[in-house]
Amino acid sequence: MKKTTISILAVIIGLVSFGFAPNGEIITVKGSDTMVILAQRWAENYMSSHPDVTIQVTGGGSGTGISALINGTTDICDASRPMKQSEREKLKLRFNTLGVEIKSARDGLAVYVQESNPVKELTLQQLKEIYTGKITNWKQVGGSDAKIILYSRENNSGTYVYFKDNVLEGEDYAASAQNMPGTAAVVNAVSKDKNGIGYGGAAYGKGIRFVKIKRDADSPAYEPNKESVMSGNYPISRFLYMYTRSKPTGALKDYIDWILSSEGQTVVSTVGYFPVK
Amino acid sequence: MKMFFAVLVFLPFVLSAQDGSSAATKEDVENVKGAFEGLNESYLETKTTVDALKKIKISGYVQAQYQITDGIAGTVFNGGTAPAPGGFSGGAFPNDVSSRFSVRRGRIKFNYDNDLTQYVMQFDVTQGGLAIKDMYASIKEPYLKLATFTGGIFDRPFGFEISYSSSNREAPERSRMYQTLFPGERELGAKIELAPQSGMLSMFNAKVGVFNGNNNNNAENDNNKDIIGRVGFQLPFNEENLEIDGGASFYSGKVTSGSRAIWKIDNGTKLWKYDSTAKNNGSSFDRSYVGVDAQLYYDLPVLGGLSLRAEYITGTQPGTAASASYYVYAKGSGTPLYSRKFSGYYVNYVQNIGLTEQIVVKYDKFNPNTDITSSSIGTGNLTTAGDIAYTTLGVGAVHHFDGNVKLTLYYEMISNEKVNSATTNAALLPFKEDVKDNVFTVRMQYKF
Repeated sequence: MKKTTISILAVIIGLVSFGFAPNGEIITVKGSDTMVILAQRWAENYMSSHPDVTIQVTGGGSGTGISALINGTTDICDASRPMKQSEREKLKLRFNTLGVEIKSARDGLAVYVQESNPVKELTLQQLKEIYTGKITNWKQVGGSDAKIILYSRENNSGTYVYFKDNVLEGEDYAASAQNMPGTAAVVNAVSKDKNGIGYGGAAYGKGIRFVKIKRDADSPAYEPNKESVMSGNYPISRFLYMYTRSKPTGALKDYIDWILSSEGQTVVSTVGYFPVK
Repeated sequence: MKMFFAVLVFLPFVLSAQDGSSAATKEDVENVKGAFEGLNESYLETKTTVDALKKIKISGYVQAQYQITDGIAGTVFNGGTAPAPGGFSGGAFPNDVSSRFSVRRGRIKFNYDNDLTQYVMQFDVTQGGLAIKDMYASIKEPYLKLATFTGGIFDRPFGFEISYSSSNREAPERSRMYQTLFPGERELGAKIELAPQSGMLSMFNAKVGVFNGNNNNNAENDNNKDIIGRVGFQLPFNEENLEIDGGASFYSGKVTSGSRAIWKIDNGTKLWKYDSTAKNNGSSFDRSYVGVDAQLYYDLPVLGGLSLRAEYITGTQPGTAASASYYVYAKGSGTPLYSRKFSGYYVNYVQNIGLTEQIVVKYDKFNPNTDITSSSIGTGNLTTAGDIAYTTLGVGAVHHFDGNVKLTLYYEMISNEKVNSATTNAALLPFKEDVKDNVFTVRMQYKF
């Protein structure tokens, strides 16, 4: 019996030894579409000064990135919203870790309309009522007599979740909202639709105009810019996150340290987002 | 959606192709506009349907396994008949069988999740047939989202190991203690769960339920209802990559005796004492447990995450002469009820290594009768195999091929208390030594 026991233990130890196989210096990044341009710029700049490191960046949405982190198919997950408790539990179940959250940039979640749209500002309440389908005509918020066309994101998007949680206060989007596959698609659709409205990262502002946002009817209205976002005055600003399964080590740690350095944070400003500090 | 874009893309070509009168052009534009609005309407209808379908989630897993044991049931061992190995390793091996293939679990789960309400139905399909595992509805109060009410067949809210899914568990089976006290894990009943969503209180949760108390999914057979509850906490220390969770649980229940014969251990003599009062038949007797559990998660630098989980349960279990398993009441059965004080615990260590490997070491002990010593078993005090304590040391490795498939190798070294060497009780003779009942399991799991 002792021989059997030793043999079985040897097989188990042998199997485990596969886990020590080296991973090489390839870093995979997956997640938020809002962050994908930023992540690509970070990767390009870093690889140019670190030719021994390969960084592969893909989008897909924050939810997709978090699933990849849980499934072990990415090293870094980019997310434009914090991880949910249920997602942390899944990570804990599979890897016995809690996940490491890294605040990598700030973003003002911009609300877009076409440049010809006369509506210059909205309160958070009006925005909520527009996207939940209670306000359906621009005339109800000081615009022309025309139906409001809603452009939104798909539900695997962190921006979609953030907007739902923080602007719609958990209520469902109106059924008429058209789900676009990325922030660029939202901007493109709004730029061609004089009655359209969309939302997304402030770095995607070409061809459209930002609507100023007010916390309530008596508050001042703000556009998402460095000053209003960094001061916290802009009502729908947020952090952009990076998540890793475990505390980063080696090449992964070096890369994240660089992102948080002044060099990495300069890239944040260049792309159109705002630095963490 | 694609059709919508197709219309937008081709619209200019359609229009440029019109070189006739402005009236004809206008008519064509109106036609295209009509087609677009029709498509948009169709899209909205489809979206509504797809949104509704997205609420239905189907998941499942299958566990196919091969097991080999060093014991063979039914053969002569120590002058007695060798007991069947594997009883707590996925089911007892039949006589003369020392290896087998089986589908341990084949689950399919349907979940309709409407945010505040949930409907769940789960079946288990194996070579043994089809069984209902879960069948419940739950509703969350919409204001604070603090309380959830659940009714139907679902996990009993006791301890940690019950609710730790078999598809996630690293060891193939739950501890002997849990398999004895909570066979099947589920029960028919109703519960309320409180889980604050934010603030300091979100670290705490509580759940309590009322159940038939008739084991797993069996229909009720008496008027006793059992109350089961747990209060738990989760303390994350994110800076230290550490989390400590835990809780305390209770089970307060009664079973009805189908016999006037009630056996309890006499505190003075430590012998079984017989009570044959006529009114015992149909009367209720205690089934009560208390337990504490703790789980520690820590991210070990370079190597990976680890978890250390432990539980301890003690209490009073109504069983039968030969078994510490729960006493099942049947009116007029005449089956004597044996009330035992028990205790048990397990410690489970899991170490992740890299992305794909895990090693697991688990040790558990279950003593079904804490009032007697092992050396007194079989000395004329009417003790039986149901009074013997067991320990199990399991070591194993798990390899995750991807997010769906994992391979588990697990070896359980099971040891029983050695009964009094002078016993002549035929049923206890094998237990003079550690019986051969170690089990090696190779399991492949596919989960989706």
